[in-house]
Amino acid sequence: MATTALQAPGRWASALAAVLSLGLVFAAWQLGGADSDSQALSLSLLGGALFGLLLQRSRFCFFCVTRDFIEQRKPDGLLGIIAALAVGTLGYHLVFGAFVPDPSSGRLPPDAHVGPLSWVLGLSATVFGIGMALSGSCISAHLYRLGEGAFASLFALFGALIGFFLGFLCWNPLYLLSIQQAPVVWLPAWQGYGVSFLLQIALLGGLACWLLLHVQASTEPRVVARNLRQLLFGQRWPTWVGGLLIGFLATLSYLRVGPLGVTAELGSVARTAADGLGWLPERLEGLDSFSGCATAVKEALLSNNGLFILGLVVASWASALLAGDFQPKRPRVSELLRNLLGGVLLGWGSMLALGCTVGTLLSGIMAGALSGWVFAVFCLVGVLLGLRIRRYW
Amino acid sequence: MTIKNLFGAGLLAAATLLQAAQALAASDVLVSTEWLEKNLNNPKVRIIEVSVAPGVYERGHIPGAVNFAWHRDLVDPVRRDIASQENFQALLRKSGISADTTTVLYGDNNNWFAAWGAWVFDVYGVDNVKLLDGGRVKWEAEKRALDNRAKTPVAGNVTVKAANKDLRAFLPDVLAAAEKRSDVQLVDIRSADEYNGKVFAPQGVQELAVRAGHVPGAVNVPWGQAVAADGTFKSVEELKKVYGAVGIDGSKPIITYCRIGERSSHTWFALKKILGYDVRNYDGSWTEYGNAVGVPVVNVAGTVWGGK
Repeated sequence: MATTALQAPGRWASALAAVLSLGLVFAAWQLGGADSDSQALSLSLLGGALFGLLLQRSRFCFFCVTRDFIEQRKPDGLLGIIAALAVGTLGYHLVFGAFVPDPSSGRLPPDAHVGPLSWVLGLSATVFGIGMALSGSCISAHLYRLGEGAFASLFALFGALIGFFLGFLCWNPLYLLSIQQAPVVWLPAWQGYGVSFLLQIALLGGLACWLLLHVQASTEPRVVARNLRQLLFGQRWPTWVGGLLIGFLATLSYLRVGPLGVTAELGSVARTAADGLGWLPERLEGLDSFSGCATAVKEALLSNNGLFILGLVVASWASALLAGDFQPKRPRVSELLRNLLGGVLLGWGSMLALGCTVGTLLSGIMAGALSGWVFAVFCLVGVLLGLRIRRYW
Repeated sequence: MTIKNLFGAGLLAAATLLQAAQALAASDVLVSTEWLEKNLNNPKVRIIEVSVAPGVYERGHIPGAVNFAWHRDLVDPVRRDIASQENFQALLRKSGISADTTTVLYGDNNNWFAAWGAWVFDVYGVDNVKLLDGGRVKWEAEKRALDNRAKTPVAGNVTVKAANKDLRAFLPDVLAAAEKRSDVQLVDIRSADEYNGKVFAPQGVQELAVRAGHVPGAVNVPWGQAVAADGTFKSVEELKKVYGAVGIDGSKPIITYCRIGERSSHTWFALKKILGYDVRNYDGSWTEYGNAVGVPVVNVAGTVWGGK
């Protein structure tokens, strides 16, 4: 595969990629302004673009890397996720110290994705994991794959909208049954930032040590890059390179705009549409008081998360064009159905878990939220279950 | 250039300097953004942000400012009341406020909640409390620096007094004014649509009253009429004109109210602190009055509550 990956993309592909990149820069410039709100919009678009580039180049797909390890015992991808979590943990703890000097005050840092711990989180993370396995990736990977021409991902994303709607319908009973009384556990509140940081790094380090035992000799030779373009858009980057950079991006994003997340906009679109049609309960109890990939009935067309998603998809498209990874395929009907159904599970799971692998797992664990760890464990359980189902479908 | 010209120029320069110095001096109740920037490192000045939106402070605040969360720090979180004397004193001491400290409050949304904070300070008899004229908006518009590192000051030693009930209006006081049993003027600072009963509450708020309209006898002066285009309070003359036009001239005691008592603190500040009138803030406001049983209401629009 290495030789094909280094083939220079066609002239049209390069030109289109250049137009897309210029379009992103122009839009970011147009959005920006002297006030913090317009800066947040502009930064969200740029942050999304950078995230899309990193996801596409380093194949940062939670499902793919998990399956690599489960089926082929290849740990490289999972190590990339651990790299992101380690760097992000360091960055978040540094920023927290500036935002909230005393973590024991009983207050949570603003916007950080620290969610309630109840059996609903376990259930929704498991369902999300099954959805990942069925549809072939999590929501962030569906978004960047859209840029690679995977049109089946559109079905998964449409399914996610339906899933969100079903999640909203389930919210009130589940909230009153369990979520309302659930503890919201933020590790730094227990023994301070130092202990929380060391605890997480020790855990991540332990996991990395165990995964490294499984490293195999690479079957894919690294090709020497002879210019910048080959270096950036030749072979895929090792996942850990993407992981380290995503850790930095997550920290800077939290500092300037908010934690990384990819479902707030999807959820808001679903909520706005369902609300407009009068299909939602009058009030979603307590939902808006949690930090996480918050959904809202949309009042403005442009939102931070919407622009983040837009930047993600456009940049991964440009990146895929330059790297020769843009390969539109006509999906089979069964694949479309699997994407749609998987998408419904993804949407339902991420609505009730207040985020997905990015919003709850990545941004949650980096923030020292126990809910992030719980999501990770149950999501893995879901992927294992989903892979079993895949054997028959 | 003749000696005469030189002398004239010197006089002119001196006059300009004098004017600038006057503008820089802090008034009794307001400080300018310029004054505050020059006093950022003054150990006798403590800056406190009280913003409506959570998370605004953390991402950037006036350097050295301490954050008060209005829905936790300044209220009793269980019963509907302002923070207890004990809690409020502990909060102020933790924020480094001592007996000789000048406290400057500011916040987003034209200082709504900063003014409410100033009212709570007033109720507890804390001296030397001022508002940053124009608040966060003006500070940002003038491109002055923000910081995102929160400050934990050395604890102060301020002692707050028992709550002064005379600064606060309660339902019976408002009812007495409505029924003309007392000679008190009511100022409703909500929007005209709320005042006239076209809507129960502004967009996006959950806390409703089950009746629309206003307290009989209240005049409607939306809070925004007290501010100039740059977000600062209007001058004393302009404020007198605005309120004088509806018969509020300080000759009688005044009660201000809004929906939950916070925005009305902004008008309370203008009338009481800037104009020096006798004013109480009714913090129960329309969410209490409009839900109270058996009280008289004026509902111009005639909107009927339908359970939604």
